[in-house]
Amino acid sequence: MKRLICFLKSDVAKIIASLIFFISAVIFEQSISELGAIALYISALLIAGGGVFISAVRGILRRDLLDEKFLMSIASVGAMIIGEWREGVAVMIFFLVGETFEHYAVRKSRASIRSLMDICPDEACLIGGNGEETVLDAEDVAVGSTIIIRPGERVPIDSVIIKGSADVDTSSMTGESIPVAASVGDELSSGFIVTNGLLYARTVREAGDSAAARILALVEDANESKSAEESFITRFSHYYTPVVVIIALLVALVPPVFGLRSLADSVYTALTFLVISCPCALVISVPMAFFGGIGGAASKGILFKGGSVFSKVSSVHIAAFDKTGTLTNGKFIVSDIECFDIDRDRMMYLVSSAESLSNHPIADCLKNYSNKKTTPVSAKEYAGEGVEADIDGVICAVGNARLMQRFGVRLPEGIDLSDRILVAIDRTFNGVIRISDELKPEAGDAIKKLRSLGVEKALLLSGDRKEKVDKTAVDIGVDEAYGELSPEEKYNKLTRVISDQGCTMYVGDGINDSPSLAIADVGVAMGGVGQDSAIEAADLVIMTDNLMKIPQAILIARKTINISWQNIVFALGVKGIILILGLFGFANMWLAVFADVGVAVLAILNSMRALKAPRL
Amino acid sequence: MKIKYTITGLDCPNCAAKLASQMNDIEGIDSAKINFLTEKLTVETALEENAAYEALSKAAKSFSRDIKIEK
Repeated sequence: MKRLICFLKSDVAKIIASLIFFISAVIFEQSISELGAIALYISALLIAGGGVFISAVRGILRRDLLDEKFLMSIASVGAMIIGEWREGVAVMIFFLVGETFEHYAVRKSRASIRSLMDICPDEACLIGGNGEETVLDAEDVAVGSTIIIRPGERVPIDSVIIKGSADVDTSSMTGESIPVAASVGDELSSGFIVTNGLLYARTVREAGDSAAARILALVEDANESKSAEESFITRFSHYYTPVVVIIALLVALVPPVFGLRSLADSVYTALTFLVISCPCALVISVPMAFFGGIGGAASKGILFKGGSVFSKVSSVHIAAFDKTGTLTNGKFIVSDIECFDIDRDRMMYLVSSAESLSNHPIADCLKNYSNKKTTPVSAKEYAGEGVEADIDGVICAVGNARLMQRFGVRLPEGIDLSDRILVAIDRTFNGVIRISDELKPEAGDAIKKLRSLGVEKALLLSGDRKEKVDKTAVDIGVDEAYGELSPEEKYNKLTRVISDQGCTMYVGDGINDSPSLAIADVGVAMGGVGQDSAIEAADLVIMTDNLMKIPQAILIARKTINISWQNIVFALGVKGIILILGLFGFANMWLAVFADVGVAVLAILNSMRALKAPRL
Repeated sequence: MKIKYTITGLDCPNCAAKLASQMNDIEGIDSAKINFLTEKLTVETALEENAAYEALSKAAKSFSRDIKIEK
């Protein structure tokens, strides 16, 4: 019963009912009295157009005379007044059909965008102290609660695994399709899918602050900042509508004054003209394309922060890169070990143990070097120097020359000590460890791809030592490299590049380079769901570490910009042609309604193409 | 204060822009933005929460019966 009422209220039901009255009026026009036929036409009109008329009256009340529904109403009523009964009803029915299609298309694109964005469940399953389970709204879960995530479920809130292990599909948050193994101690970002295991996790954030929520908020706000194309449209409709109204008045009044046409004919032409003038298709065409682009890019782990970013990304000429953490993995590997008067395994056992409590990036590679290690009795970290630890009574110091000086360790002469890790055991110098930062395997290809997409110059700006930076530059094929830059110098260098040349992109990992991200025409933050300041400063956020996403972002931007221009040209073109036809009396109401609603539907359908990100 | 609502029943981006500009004119509402595609209304307001909601609902209702604003 409820469904029946719903159906009767729907546009489809109105269209069918109105059509029945309309067709019977057309068939029986000759056989029944004129009054009867008119009654049938009016019934058909009221069924189809009742809602439209009410909206039109509301439009007049708020002095909005160029409302689409108001225009349709005067067109329809105007046609009836001059005796075009069929035309008047048909316009309304056709308009309703068009509206139904338009709503369907909008609904459909909203649904597909929503499914792309549907990356986080609203509910979380909590485990109480006695092991009982309660399902709660994710928003109501306090930080530090224990939640359970079953195979196939998505992680509702950012959390850390406390029990269990599983393969985790991170694709909706990072765009990476290969599942990652996760176990106790690993962080789970909201939006990850647990594929094959049962996980207990402790929440570390509230749902509203979790990664998925932050990303959704970003995408939702993205459309609010206006792009150049959008403001073009706004400017355009600003002049467009008044001009069209004036022309319509002239068309209605001038020919009859000079006795060229009957008033009825020219009023009809003017009405047609007004219907065509509705700016809805134009206004919908651009934001819809950008929205599709944002959704499509998000599904690849690329976040565009707003429509204006598309045009800038599509025309990047210069790309500047940070080195550590951006072009390199930011993970150090041990590349060479030299030891003196000590067994190599023994030394590395002591080093790994000494570093095991440290969180420094360099410590990561040292503590995992040796399989055998023990927890030190005590350990002390000296910022910027290194670590000293007591391992079963042996004092092991691992760090740079300054640390050695601190403990009065005598260093041998004739060894290049810069950029090396030195090891002293019981205050005696025992070894040198050389470490290096690994280049990402795709770095060279990404630069090549960028060049093929029209990037004229690639730069490397780094705080690292000059020789290293120059070597990296040669390895991946960038044009200019600058090393030993402080964050401030990096920023200054970038400012000069920007003022000199075309649209500049700066790619960084968001650590220490937020100012550079902000000043570049396009700031790209790599691999950062966690780095809020970087996300804030950047225009483009790449959620994985993969550099190939940058050329892909350019392709997505170009496709989206193309689609938005296609929509503008198509909408303006069709309207323009039909307007001119209408001006000379060749276009009837039917064509006019198509120019309004039909064009909008086609523009929406075209925009849906932007949802599909182009391949590299 | 920044408040976010879900707004449904809008016909087209044009109408959304018109309604947003009317909401902008409400006293106490500093800015109102409507994202037609995500159906989100974001307002900056000095008004207290309930008062803001009342004022916005009234504006929406006078615009069209079909438009609904939810928290």
